Amino acid sequence: MRKELILFSILAAVACPAGATLGGSAESVVTDQSKLHAKRAVVQRQDYSVHEITGNDGTLIREYVTPDGKVFGVSWIGPTIPDLVQLLGTYNTEFQTAIRAKRGRRSSAAVHNPDLVVESSGHMRAFHGRAFLNSMLPSGVTSDAVQ
Amino acid sequence: MRGRRSVRSVRWRDWAAVAVTAILLMILAACSGGSSGGSSSTGVTPTPPPPVNVSNVQPVYMDYGPIVNSQNVGFNNTLYTTVVICVPGTTACQSIDHVIVDTGSTGLRIPASLVTLSLPYVTDSSNNPIGNCVQYADTSYQWGPIVKVDVQLAGEVASSVPIQIVGPANFAAVPSLCTSGGTPAQTVAALGANGILGIGLFRQDCGSACAAAAPPAVYFTCPASGCVAASVPLASQLQNPVWMFPQDNNGVAIVLPQVGAVGSVSLAGSIIFGIGTQSDNALGGAQAQGADSGGNFTTTFNGKAYSGSFIDSGSSGYFFLDSSTTGLPNCAANSDANGFYCPGSPAAFTAINSGPNPRGTGVPVSINVAFGIANALPLIDSPAAVFNNIGGPSSGLFDWGIPFFLGRTVFVGIEGQSSAAGTGPYWAY
Repeated sequence: MRKELILFSILAAVACPAGATLGGSAESVVTDQSKLHAKRAVVQRQDYSVHEITGNDGTLIREYVTPDGKVFGVSWIGPTIPDLVQLLGTYNTEFQTAIRAKRGRRSSAAVHNPDLVVESSGHMRAFHGRAFLNSMLPSGVTSDAVQ
Repeated sequence: MRGRRSVRSVRWRDWAAVAVTAILLMILAACSGGSSGGSSSTGVTPTPPPPVNVSNVQPVYMDYGPIVNSQNVGFNNTLYTTVVICVPGTTACQSIDHVIVDTGSTGLRIPASLVTLSLPYVTDSSNNPIGNCVQYADTSYQWGPIVKVDVQLAGEVASSVPIQIVGPANFAAVPSLCTSGGTPAQTVAALGANGILGIGLFRQDCGSACAAAAPPAVYFTCPASGCVAASVPLASQLQNPVWMFPQDNNGVAIVLPQVGAVGSVSLAGSIIFGIGTQSDNALGGAQAQGADSGGNFTTTFNGKAYSGSFIDSGSSGYFFLDSSTTGLPNCAANSDANGFYCPGSPAAFTAINSGPNPRGTGVPVSINVAFGIANALPLIDSPAAVFNNIGGPSSGLFDWGIPFFLGRTVFVGIEGQSSAAGTGPYWAY
């Protein structure tokens, strides 16, 4: 039984190599770390933890994790925009659809849907962005935590 | 989003606004101490004095944008110019209109569909072509090979400048490190323009970070087996053509007239090359503030400092903070003004921009800026295409877009280049 479970987990990991990210389990942070060839540090806060992933090129990605191990927010700072399919998972589709509805706006992206919030700003050499799910913010934690 | 539409006739009040603007500009020109030159036939171009050396005044314009399939595809508040590119060292040239003037990026980028010249690839030491990726804050991207051209702007020529050809069919597919899950801006219609001319604060688009080991995913070496992120020497990177001019190469002045509260269907202005290099580009009373290595500075608003702020002629409004911080309601998501602020009545604000003194004295320079935000919806739904009073949210920072440039002369001091204001990167206004 136990063996079968492990086998199932391995199969699932192979089938979904990108893992879940925003909204998914914190295990995916490790996947991100290896994909980014990056260093990882964990900072414990009172109501959540922050996994910081520093890429060789200077990109800093933070994943904000609830006490029960779910990623409720992500942020990035760096010379380029990281892979949003990897960071936002399926929420990237919702984000891209919402941006395309704002095409008259030539600037940063700010999508504030009822649950999903994504902000991407900056310019060449200096990008910054963050995303979170309102429904998954731990109690007592505001969206300001995701920076 | 503003819908596509055909060019409509210019209303009388727009011409009145233009005429008043032209008169104000002439008065301003007289005040700045430059000798007055001849008036242009349109009456809206600022009137610089006759050039002493090379002609350094490049016309710029704002309108409904280039035409694709009989329709204008431009967006509101976009500053364009016309660029001439040539096969290096030859007279085989072509002129490309409606290229966005962007102080938020560096380098010239032209969609492949417009390029009629046969241009030499920039290659690595193994003779493989080099691909370049540019990402924009809205997560759109452009991908394509680097080629060399001579760039002509006004009477100035930059020789053998690496530029990007965007999206050629016969080049390697865009790497996933470039798309990052974003949206392509590879065509004229997607971009709303015939290219982008990045003439911001820097000499190269990426700079030393891309020449070092473990570079960001901006340059790629592209052998037949596929493109791989690579370090590229500074000289092979996309260049700000201005710093490659033989003269007038320490920066630019962007000079645009003001518009009224209802906006304007079009606008004409100038880029003047050089800062304090000729009689038409003196700093006058402009104050200079430096920027950091990423091009940012601090904007202070209601007593709070926002350190990631920047000036960007490629942004179509004042994009700053959020609805709860500013008290400005967001426009309805299902409206044409989605992404902008829609206050019930016009709101006036002031902020303070500050950065290091580019003369290196160690004392930061602070400059007060007044600006206004009106309800974007009726403006965007009007025939006008140029506005000094539209904006929207951009959390935690100020993006001083096109409205900031209207009614101002904004000097862009290029990194490592010196003028009476000091050494770049700096802004002066």
